[in-house]
Amino acid sequence: MIRPTITTRAARLLGTFCIVAGAAAVPRPAAAQVYIGRDIPHRGNIEISGGAVWLGGYDLGSAAAEETRNTGTGTGPFVLFDTSSKTDPSVGLQGRLGVYATKSVSVEGGVLVAWPSVSTRLTGDAESASDLTATETLTRVIVDGSVLFHFTGASFGGGRGVPFILGGAGYLRDAHEKNEVIETGHEFHIGGGLHYWFGQGKHRFGIRADGGISWRQGGADSAETTRTVPMAAGSIAYLF
Amino acid sequence: MKRRAAVLITLSLVAFYTVPAGAYLKLGTKVGARTVTLAWTQLPIRYFITDRGTTGVTSTQLQQTVQSAFSTWQAVSTAQISSQFVGLTLTGPSSGDGVTVIGFQNRPDLERTLGATSFMVDSTTGAIVEADIFFNTAFPWSVSAQGDTGLFDLQSIALHEIGHLFGLAHSAMGETELRAGGRRVIAAEAVMFPIAFSAGTILGRTLKADDIAGIGDIYSNSTYSRNTGSISGKVTKSGQGVLGAHVIAFDVRTQKLVGGFSLSDDGSFVIAGLEPGPHILRVEPLDDGDIESFFDATLNIDVNFRAQFYDKIVVVPKGGGTSGVELKVVAK
Repeated sequence: MIRPTITTRAARLLGTFCIVAGAAAVPRPAAAQVYIGRDIPHRGNIEISGGAVWLGGYDLGSAAAEETRNTGTGTGPFVLFDTSSKTDPSVGLQGRLGVYATKSVSVEGGVLVAWPSVSTRLTGDAESASDLTATETLTRVIVDGSVLFHFTGASFGGGRGVPFILGGAGYLRDAHEKNEVIETGHEFHIGGGLHYWFGQGKHRFGIRADGGISWRQGGADSAETTRTVPMAAGSIAYLF
Repeated sequence: MKRRAAVLITLSLVAFYTVPAGAYLKLGTKVGARTVTLAWTQLPIRYFITDRGTTGVTSTQLQQTVQSAFSTWQAVSTAQISSQFVGLTLTGPSSGDGVTVIGFQNRPDLERTLGATSFMVDSTTGAIVEADIFFNTAFPWSVSAQGDTGLFDLQSIALHEIGHLFGLAHSAMGETELRAGGRRVIAAEAVMFPIAFSAGTILGRTLKADDIAGIGDIYSNSTYSRNTGSISGKVTKSGQGVLGAHVIAFDVRTQKLVGGFSLSDDGSFVIAGLEPGPHILRVEPLDDGDIESFFDATLNIDVNFRAQFYDKIVVVPKGGGTSGVELKVVAK
């Protein structure tokens, strides 16, 4: 479906697209043309979104409280007790601001705040202290930037639904309880998702769902190990 | 200057008093109504070595071993301490002459004492004026780099005694078992644990986190103030403070153990010199050594409670402290 009115700017965009398409010499199905027009997010459009995010938990490893064993009393270190730590899955809030560089590519920055719980399981005490799980809650902030590629050709719902993939990097800041200790790190992420816009006007609301994987180092986890964290988010978006 | 001398005759020594609100068990003395930490105010500590050896160890080897032990303490980056070997002397290690002397002494009457440290203290300030260390020649000694079977490692014991000389009391960071003839160490994670490792081993030559926290607490420098933190709180049982409970802070990241005691009737404790980050707290009764190795015998130390963990991870801030921890223990 081609909409009947095309603005001058939209016509320019159409022309650009045709040149690119022609240069690529790829035959395109007529259905793809539904995104060629003023209603598709295009260069200069700004998208604001905000919503909830889920972060997966991950293992922080094990450690034993050991003492130096005297000779003749056994082998290996004397284990006073064992610990096993993990970060539990958590939910948080996320806000993003994006700018479309082209119809297919946008860049965005975001802030995520979550409150994951860190727990350490304490077992095997040498003097029979009862097993126990010690906990604390972090305030985790991630400030990140991403590049999104929108598959305009794979849209559906009359052009309202547009899948995308994204990749980026971020700065990680973990504040321990009472915010007395701040630890920082970094992360890289990739993911994919879907925009579904309500309406086709210049200003419109929509919803956004995305998921992905974050690889992170640092923060409350001092190990050199890179942790793999699954993420999922749902947001309300506004385009203008 | 009014001076008071005291000779301490356990394996190492019994504290005059334990200092309240300290991060570590330190030696203290009463100055008027106050208890103050024993410490050297004049550095470097100038010491002599008695020019007398024992079987297998010459006085020169003794001097080199003692110097090495001093160097080990002085290498602690969070403490500002120094010492100076003045020379050999014919005088034995004895209190009251105003001179710090370290040497061998034959004390067959002290059948379980490898060495001891005694002090002369300025009772108006708590400043250490003199400290003497003797190593008991009733025991066989070794200065071998690898240790000698059946011989006690002089460097390990010197490291312990010099810890006392600097003002540290005993650490409870160790486990023991009762056997015929006394307690035997199963394991220890502090040079300042009151009972030595078995003869033949050199395991006691290395300072542990607990020792390092302790020496930094007495002779703190800017690195200590800037880079370490503390945990404070109370140990209670049925709502009442517990005196003499041993509280251990375990750094999950570095796996270092640092201990402290509840040192007042309300059960207050402070563990200082901790590296920043999350710690696990565990409290236990003082049951791995004679109470008198740690506290004045007149104190009512409570050992009737079970070992247990604290249910929160306690995060130590850099250069600051986390307070308000309450460890509630239950009777055995």
